[in-house]
Amino acid sequence: MLLTSTTMIKTKVTISNKLGLHARPSSKLAEVCSKFDAEIWIKKDRKKINAKNMMDILMLASGYKSQIEILIDGEDEQAAMKEIKVLFTNRFGEES
Amino acid sequence: MHTFNVHGLAASSGIAIGKVQVVSNALLEVQHYKIKKADLDNEKNRLSQAIALVKKDLKNIKKDINQKSSSDFSSFIDIHLMMLEDKNFSFYPQEIIKSEQCNAEWAIKTQLDLVISKFDAIDDPYIKERKLDVTQVAERLIKILLGHQHKKNAQKNPFSTILVAHDISPADALQFKNHNYAAFITEHGGTNSHTAILARGLAIPSIVAVKNARKLIKNNDLVVVDGDSGLAIINPNDQILKEYEYKKNLWEVEYKKLLKIKNVKSTTLNNHVISLMANIEDLGDIKSVLESKAAGVGLFRTEFLFMNRDDLPGEEEQFETYKSIALSMKSKPVVIRTLDSGADKATAADTIQTTNPALGLRAIRLCLSHPHFFLIQLKAILRASAFGKIKILIPMLSSLGELKQVKMLIKRAKDNLLSDAINFDKNIEVGGMIEIPAVAINAEAFARELDFLSIGTNDLIQYTLAIDRTDDSVSHLYNALHPAVLKLISNTINAGKKYGKEVAICGEMAGDPKLTKLLIGMGLTNFSMHPASILAVKKQILESDSSKLKNHAIKLLRLSDAEKIETLIQKINQ
Repeated sequence: MLLTSTTMIKTKVTISNKLGLHARPSSKLAEVCSKFDAEIWIKKDRKKINAKNMMDILMLASGYKSQIEILIDGEDEQAAMKEIKVLFTNRFGEES
Repeated sequence: MHTFNVHGLAASSGIAIGKVQVVSNALLEVQHYKIKKADLDNEKNRLSQAIALVKKDLKNIKKDINQKSSSDFSSFIDIHLMMLEDKNFSFYPQEIIKSEQCNAEWAIKTQLDLVISKFDAIDDPYIKERKLDVTQVAERLIKILLGHQHKKNAQKNPFSTILVAHDISPADALQFKNHNYAAFITEHGGTNSHTAILARGLAIPSIVAVKNARKLIKNNDLVVVDGDSGLAIINPNDQILKEYEYKKNLWEVEYKKLLKIKNVKSTTLNNHVISLMANIEDLGDIKSVLESKAAGVGLFRTEFLFMNRDDLPGEEEQFETYKSIALSMKSKPVVIRTLDSGADKATAADTIQTTNPALGLRAIRLCLSHPHFFLIQLKAILRASAFGKIKILIPMLSSLGELKQVKMLIKRAKDNLLSDAINFDKNIEVGGMIEIPAVAINAEAFARELDFLSIGTNDLIQYTLAIDRTDDSVSHLYNALHPAVLKLISNTINAGKKYGKEVAICGEMAGDPKLTKLLIGMGLTNFSMHPASILAVKKQILESDSSKLKNHAIKLLRLSDAEKIETLIQKINQ
């Protein structure tokens, strides 16, 4: 456990779609995260939630311009991070 | 029968007349009962089966969506499917059944209440409203658990039916689509709820947030729904009914006609091009601006960037917003008005409370008293000007002295950017709002010093007539057609003409189709309004002959009797 936690990767992102992480982006994010074996969390302020749970993401209430941190731990963490970042840079296909 | 009115939020425009069908609210019917220990597994199974059934239902609905539906529908269904799979539905309620030894319906309701309390603590209004989706999923589930009949094929009704419900889920709305409901009235929801968004997409007149609608309105009541004002009239008498039938026909005809002129160029009968621009409050409005085919953004009210927050937006944040707007409008003009806070629009920048805020330290006065903050905004606007055709608009100017200070600060902002080798439009136009009577009277002096003028009719009327629009006891005296107001507007338009400077109106008057012809007659060529008003105003323009209207306008400006003015306006609009 100690060993894996040292390899955890993390990155900070700013929410750039106008409506924030509302229902559609949350479900999209949870869907993508669920494809991977790695454990994936999202940290915002003092809250940390499992990124495979759509409702948990939604209830983080990450509005436009808010900052969140993505933490990933597991064998396929690099691939997961890559795909998650794409979602955010494409603003989940929504307006900036 | 007793005629009465109910009020709610206008969620989707249009008028509908029909008989009511009240939809029950399963959530309110849920009762609590104990489950014997031996039966707990059965109860849990019952819940799992209900979840499976709802999933199947939703998937079937999704399958039914054919190409004619927008992708919005299908993604709303996906969201509900995902919520069903979430532990809030698939796991916790099972645990509640076990620990509380209660029925499945009660377990769902308990969990729902918990989730809703979490949503209620969220500040973001858009995300907060998603609690409605969670509620709709729970409701669907409980209906199945209660063994409610599944109204998959609601009977076809020859009369138009108005649906009165606690709330309408997107999945419901989808099924309703095939039944040609004439209108929706819901007890729940806001103008941003999915119900409202979908109703607008389907062009179904709707009123939301009507308290106790299902108690007040009974099945088969005859109801008139006015989706523009948020009013529903229950059991209207013949006279009301006739009036609304007429309005409804008119609305339908007008609406169809208006859509046809969407791509028509905005010119008068005698070939004068009239520029129709859009007023916006934030980036989200751009979509409707582009849809409306506006010639540009005639007024971007930046104060909304500053509202609902404890801090002030920094240069980067402002720059990014201005830049995005400039880029999405391509090379079309974007007029950015500097912070116009104070009076009715409070922001973190205002700290001083005065008894007469409309006449106090607001707008440019506030900015000039905090030049450091003003410079941040000016620099952000200038930087964004490298990415499109941006113009700066200064609100609430009252003297040339203020204008001089503003120009000095703009120069300082430019110098700062130059020394940092940051790109901007060196010839950026600077215009002023004409909204204080003193400035309208003295418009020529301002036309000389500015690149363009923009008349803010709301404040101009308020200051000219000394009427606080928000004060109910005097608001009936607020009159855009007061001869003094019209003279000030005319004086400003003429000043612009004399010095070859563009004059626009960006207040409510610009978007009022009843005033379009008069304003054209007065020589106005530039209107800026809410995007939703553009087509109605364009229609007036297409029917206008500006040379004929000019004579009417000259005559009207000589009148001082309100009644005569009203009569002449009617003649002009014929």
